[in-house]
Amino acid sequence: MAVVVNEKNPVENLSKAELRNIFAGEKRSWPGGLPIKLFVRAPGCRERDALLKLLDMSESEYKKYWTAKVFRGEAQAEPVALFSNGMQKEAILLYPGAVALVSFQDVRPGMKVVKIDGRKPDEAGYPLN
Amino acid sequence: MRFYPTIAALLLLLTSLGHAQDTAPSEREMIQQLVQQVRELQAKVQTLESQQRCAPLPAPGAAQPSLKPTAPGQTTDAQQDALRKQLHELNGIRWRGFGEVDYKALNQSTPELGTFGFVPGSHGNFYTGDFDLLLTSRINDKASVLSEVVLGEEQAQTFGVDLERVLFKYDYNDHLRMSFGRYHTGIGYYNLAFHTATWLQTTADRPLVMEFATDGGPLPTQAVGVSLTGQVPSGAVGLNYTAEYGSSDTVRPDLNGVTLDDEHNSNHVNVGLFVRPDPIPGLQIGTSIYHDQISDTARGPTVRLGQTIANLHVVYDGHGVEFLNEGFLIRHAYRGSPLVYNMPAFYSQISRQFGHIRPFFRYQYINANPGSVLEDISLRHGPSFGARYDFSDNIAFKTQLDHTLRKGQPDLNGLHLQLAFAF
Repeated sequence: MAVVVNEKNPVENLSKAELRNIFAGEKRSWPGGLPIKLFVRAPGCRERDALLKLLDMSESEYKKYWTAKVFRGEAQAEPVALFSNGMQKEAILLYPGAVALVSFQDVRPGMKVVKIDGRKPDEAGYPLN
Repeated sequence: MRFYPTIAALLLLLTSLGHAQDTAPSEREMIQQLVQQVRELQAKVQTLESQQRCAPLPAPGAAQPSLKPTAPGQTTDAQQDALRKQLHELNGIRWRGFGEVDYKALNQSTPELGTFGFVPGSHGNFYTGDFDLLLTSRINDKASVLSEVVLGEEQAQTFGVDLERVLFKYDYNDHLRMSFGRYHTGIGYYNLAFHTATWLQTTADRPLVMEFATDGGPLPTQAVGVSLTGQVPSGAVGLNYTAEYGSSDTVRPDLNGVTLDDEHNSNHVNVGLFVRPDPIPGLQIGTSIYHDQISDTARGPTVRLGQTIANLHVVYDGHGVEFLNEGFLIRHAYRGSPLVYNMPAFYSQISRQFGHIRPFFRYQYINANPGSVLEDISLRHGPSFGARYDFSDNIAFKTQLDHTLRKGQPDLNGLHLQLAFAF
C-alpha cells in the first residue's frame, strides 16, 4: 500500500507514527502550513482495510471516531470517502495538500509516492505491507 | 396410379422428417454455445461489479467524466466538477443531530438534581434531556464555523434554547489553532471530549464533578472568549497545550433544583498541557489550571473569592477499552479573609467493548465544604455501573444503576435508562 501526495508536496518521508497521526486527524498541516486534505476509499476496498489496520479501528469505531472529532471541533469534516481510484487520483492532482493510500500497482503519473520509515513500497521492511 | 400421389406425399414427409433430424443437433449446439457465452459474459460482469462495487451512477444531466487518459497535472473541467460535488466544496452548513430519551427513577421523592425535566417529588419519570444540533461550515481550508444549539427540557416539559457553543475557528497551523466565541472550558478532559451529546459518552450521565453548571455541576463549564490549542514540538511525546481567556457567567442551581446561584464570574484564565504519546495511541495524560473570581451572594452582595481549579487526568481510549481518570482540586479563597476552602473531587470510569455491548463501572467522589458556595453538594461518593448496547452505529441504549452515599442523608439509589441517538 503506497502513500501518495501531490507532486508539489515537498514531503519525501514520513514515519509510520506520523502517517497514523495524519489519517487520525491529529496532524492537520504539512510543514510550511499547507493544510492536509485527507482522501480515503469507501468501505469494502483494500485501501479502506489498510486504513483501518493503520488506525487499529473497526469500521464502526472509525465512524464514531470521526463523528466525535467533528463534534469536538477538532476537524472540519470527516475525510472524504471516494469510490474509485480514478477519483482518488483526480483529488491528488487537484489539491496540493492531498494525501491518500493506494495500492502500489495503482499508482499513476502525477502521484508522488512518499517513503514510510525511509522505505519505498517495493523495498523489504516497508511497514504498510 | 391413384396410389402414386399418396406414395409421393409419404416420401416427401419421410424426407422432411429426416432433414429435420439432420438440422436439430446443429441448432442445439448453437443454442448450447450461445448459453455458454451468456454464462461467461455474466461471470465477467460479476467480476467487474465486484471490482467497482461502490461506483455511483452519475446524476442525470451531469457531465460524464472523460475516459480519455489525462496527462499528469491536467484534469478536465467535468472531472473537477464531479469531484467537487462529491467533496461538497460548495459553501453550506453541515448538520448533525444528537438526541436522547430518558427514564430515571430514584428511591426517594425529595428532588435530587431536579433538572433535565425530572419532576421534583417524583420517584421516576421520563424526560428528553438535551436535543443537540451541531452545525459546521467550512469557510476555507483554515477557517470554519462550529455551532451547537441545544434544546433542553426544563420544568413542566418546557424547553429552553441554549447556544452551547458558537465558534469561529482558524487553524493557522498544527501549533496554533484558534477559536473565538462561546466554548466549553478546557478544565480537564471530559468537558472537551463529550460536550453535550450523550450518544458520544458511554454512561447515561456525566460524572457529578463534570456536570454542566446549569445542571448543578460545580465547575464553570462554559465561557465566551478565545481558546488556543496546538502541538508543542516534542517528537514522539506528543505534547499539546491549551490556553483560554474569557468570561464565564455561572448560574448554578442547587442540587434540589430550587435555588439559583449566580456566581458573577470575572474573566478567567485557563492553561493546560497534555501529552498523547505516539507509541501508545489513545493515551492522554494532562493537567490544567483555571482561575477566576466569583461571588458568594449568601454572605453578602460584595463578597468576592478567588476560584482556582486544578486538574490532573490520565485517560486511555483504544482497543475497545475506555479508562478515564480525573482528579480535581477546587480552591475558594475569600478576598480580604483567611477563609479558604479546598474541595477535592475525582472520578474513575472503565468500560470495555464486547461486540455490541459495553459494560461500564464508574466511581466518583466530591467533597464540598459546608459554608462554601457548593455546600449543597456536600460529601457524596459512590459507584455506578451498567451497560451500553449499540443497536447500530447511531443508536445506543444504556442502563445504569447508581448508589450514592451522602453525608448526613440517606443513601440514594437510582436507575437510569437512556436511548441515545445520532443522526
